[in-house]
Amino acid sequence: MVIAVNNDTELAEWLQMLRSLDLNDRLVAVKNLQLLGDDGSLAGLIEALNDESVMVQKLAVTAIWELANPTAVDPLLECLDSPEVEIRSEALAALGELVNSDHLLKLLDMLHREDVNMQLNILILLRKIHDVQSLPYVLPFFESQLPELREAAVTTLRYLNQVVRCQPAIALLTDPVNFVRQAAALTMGHLTDDEVVPKLSQALISDPDWQVRRDAARSLDIHNDASSIPSLEKALGDEHWQVRKSATQALQKLPDPKVIPALIKALTDEYSNVRKEVAIALGNIGSTDAISALQQALDDPDREVSIQSQRAINKISNSMVKNV
Amino acid sequence: MNTQWMKTDVLVIGGGTAGTMAGIKAKQANPDLNVLILEKANIRRSGAIAMGMDGVNTAVIPGNSTPEQYVREITISNDGIVDQKAVYQTGKLGYEVIQELESWGVKFQKDAQGNYDLKQVHRVGKYVLPMPEGKDLKQILTRQVKRHKVNVTNRVMATRVMVKDGRAIGAIGFDVRSGDYIIIQANAVILSTGACGRLGLPASGYLYGTYENPTNAGDGYSMAYHAGAELRNIECFQINPLMKDYNGPACAYVASPFGAYTANAEGNRFISCDYWSGQMMLEVWKELNSGNGPVQLKMTHLDETTIAEIERILWANERPSRGRFHEGRGEDYRTAGVEMDISEIGLCSGHSASGVWVNEKAETTIPGLYAAGDMASVPHNYMIGAFVFGRIAGQEAVEYLKGLTYLEPDPEFIELERQRIYAPLAQPGGIPHTQVEYKLRRLVNDYLQPPKVSHKMEIALKKFTQYHESLSLMGAQDPHELMRCMEVHFIRDCAEMAARASLFRRESRWGLYHYNVDYPEKNNDEWFCHVNLKMNESGEMILFKRPVEPYIVDVNIETEVYDVAVR
Amino acid sequence: MALTIQRVDVPVIVDESKCLEKCVACIEVCPLDVLVKNPETGKAYMKYDECWFCLPCEKECPTGAITVQIPFLLR
Repeated sequence: MVIAVNNDTELAEWLQMLRSLDLNDRLVAVKNLQLLGDDGSLAGLIEALNDESVMVQKLAVTAIWELANPTAVDPLLECLDSPEVEIRSEALAALGELVNSDHLLKLLDMLHREDVNMQLNILILLRKIHDVQSLPYVLPFFESQLPELREAAVTTLRYLNQVVRCQPAIALLTDPVNFVRQAAALTMGHLTDDEVVPKLSQALISDPDWQVRRDAARSLDIHNDASSIPSLEKALGDEHWQVRKSATQALQKLPDPKVIPALIKALTDEYSNVRKEVAIALGNIGSTDAISALQQALDDPDREVSIQSQRAINKISNSMVKNV
Repeated sequence: MNTQWMKTDVLVIGGGTAGTMAGIKAKQANPDLNVLILEKANIRRSGAIAMGMDGVNTAVIPGNSTPEQYVREITISNDGIVDQKAVYQTGKLGYEVIQELESWGVKFQKDAQGNYDLKQVHRVGKYVLPMPEGKDLKQILTRQVKRHKVNVTNRVMATRVMVKDGRAIGAIGFDVRSGDYIIIQANAVILSTGACGRLGLPASGYLYGTYENPTNAGDGYSMAYHAGAELRNIECFQINPLMKDYNGPACAYVASPFGAYTANAEGNRFISCDYWSGQMMLEVWKELNSGNGPVQLKMTHLDETTIAEIERILWANERPSRGRFHEGRGEDYRTAGVEMDISEIGLCSGHSASGVWVNEKAETTIPGLYAAGDMASVPHNYMIGAFVFGRIAGQEAVEYLKGLTYLEPDPEFIELERQRIYAPLAQPGGIPHTQVEYKLRRLVNDYLQPPKVSHKMEIALKKFTQYHESLSLMGAQDPHELMRCMEVHFIRDCAEMAARASLFRRESRWGLYHYNVDYPEKNNDEWFCHVNLKMNESGEMILFKRPVEPYIVDVNIETEVYDVAVR
Repeated sequence: MALTIQRVDVPVIVDESKCLEKCVACIEVCPLDVLVKNPETGKAYMKYDECWFCLPCEKECPTGAITVQIPFLLR
């Protein structure tokens, strides 16, 4: 349409219709307010969050989200314990954009509410704020009866940048529930307690869940601590290829000639993604003991493996030249 | 059919990625100016990113890469033929654009420490930044357009830019619903109408089953041409590795950071990186012709959690109907690779290099006329580049028009264009646009699809120049069909440009994009240059060489050759 | 020239029991402008077979009345 529409009369029309007794009218109204995108509709939309129809509520949340007005934070927070999962997830997504450090105290306060969904969502939102002040409020959830809350809490810990030591998090590495252990393993990549590397090394070779073992390897990669080498070497023989791959990646930064035989064996791994990483690791160690195996890998049917093998051979040759 | 006149200071034609940013930036530069975005659909859901985008591909983030490294990688992957100063702008300003988008609510993926979670997909360098929640991009941009009080006119399609006294003075078009004839006077015009995505005919035969948003029919390419502006690199086609039949990304950029990769039928990689380039497409083409095909995006080796995450991203963003496509065929990433194929050809500088000639200020060769986004020739610009050049165009336009007064358009020009546009309505019993378009695009496939053969392209050229006759037989029964008829005109213009430019460059370059079997080698001695084209005073399409602008970042094009297949 | 009218299966399906007469959301957002209201019934339908199967119509519909199928030629 070329003719400019009078926004104010349109806005008033839809706001009026939002109060209609007819559900269909209210649906049309909230939809049009969403498309109009006028800040003047915010108050009406906030009211519509309490509409008797879930369909209207959901559209209201989305419309409020699109307005991205900071005054909407409080009403949206109240939606986080809605019985409707769609309302909760829409509100959570909207708040993910709107919350900032100004809202920290409010969020910490709402963490005291008894509702599980509310607690879970607040724990998720705290990740946006990256503030260590959250720590004392998050810690109690490590001991929650609900694994979802334990997992959320230890994940949120990862986002509290200033936290470098946290004993209770380490305990969750032996939690009975696997997804809690996974989250703990990942978080421990950023903690520097003395027990962290030994505990991760232990989990790498003994946890029954491959994802936990993989995440332990990833965290050991971050720590880059030579004491983890024996476990990483053992993990080269793990039954799951992603664990083998992550262990190899960690070893790339911990070049140790003692690991060469195990790596050479892994150069014939069934998965090309593992073989590729192995070639890189052998290159980093820089020993001619690996050359013959790498030369065979030049004929690998996967182009990426043969490229990395050539690079590794070049690297080893160059470092030999330098050492002469 | 009424005629309506409008006046604005800055006119932005096309309200997509580049256009919305151009409008916003023009208003930020001078809030008192009238800035109008003209959009043939509705800016809320228009253009390539109608349903958002799953990531950005050209993010130069300090600490991870420099603009110089970025320019070097783009220069090499484009076989040296780039305006480095223009490419540098994307490298330099991309970070600011990302930060501003973030302040508006766009979510870029970050790690737990709050750092941008960049991934490597290019041969060298990490420039890919995922946006798993990128579906709301257009809504966010629309909100900012409103907040900055940019005027928006939806459902009006522009057909010609008006030029007088050597400068752009506005545009002509029509309302695609009411059919009203619209004349807009402006002192600066920004063209941001996207790629020419309806050039080749998709293998499915469905005219709108294209990779690009099918509304991007090369409108701006044609409008710039008729305005007398130069275009370049038209022979550097866009040819993409896409899901067969669906014609959308499979998508390696999203899935490869998770461990997926492009493979042949055996499940083995045959290219070293999944970054889209003509050289990569040539390897795909060779692999398909060697009997090792079909090519697939392999995810079967990944675990459940990872695959579920990939599904979530791919089925919520950019081309969300991917999910139901697979479902309808009983395909599952867990058990089978995604079958891929070589797409039909298009013109697009976002992924390739063809477009309107622009310098680093988004200026075209016509004063007062700017171009940004997929239709502006800045190679591999993708979405960040579209934002960057939209921003530059908006700011430059505001500077440029200071002190300018409106010039009255030529009444004869207006009348001639009116007759041209409405001719199909005068013969509603004429051949429907669908058939006229199908045949034109089938001819594009027959004669222009690489490997290119000069004799075939010469036949194409004859057919495309004769095609004016077929165009004159088109009939339309309402303004909507009229829009489609005018798009066929744009497509024909682009087809002729594609044929002429391809014939002119007598060498091969850019892998499959301009693989010419009559001149199969790259010839830097004679062809290290741009091929430009424009309309001369007699209305003929002329082509000529333009030297590559001196490099600002050192690259040795003889020794640093982009190759994705060797050891 | 001689014309005929031909039937075509189109991708966008509208559940008329859910389509609201006063709503035009899908029509407003379609990038290809192929949805219109039937003036007699007040219900939306796909008038032209020009679909990018992009889904804004389906996503924006407040009552979930729209289902987009992949066009038959590609399905």
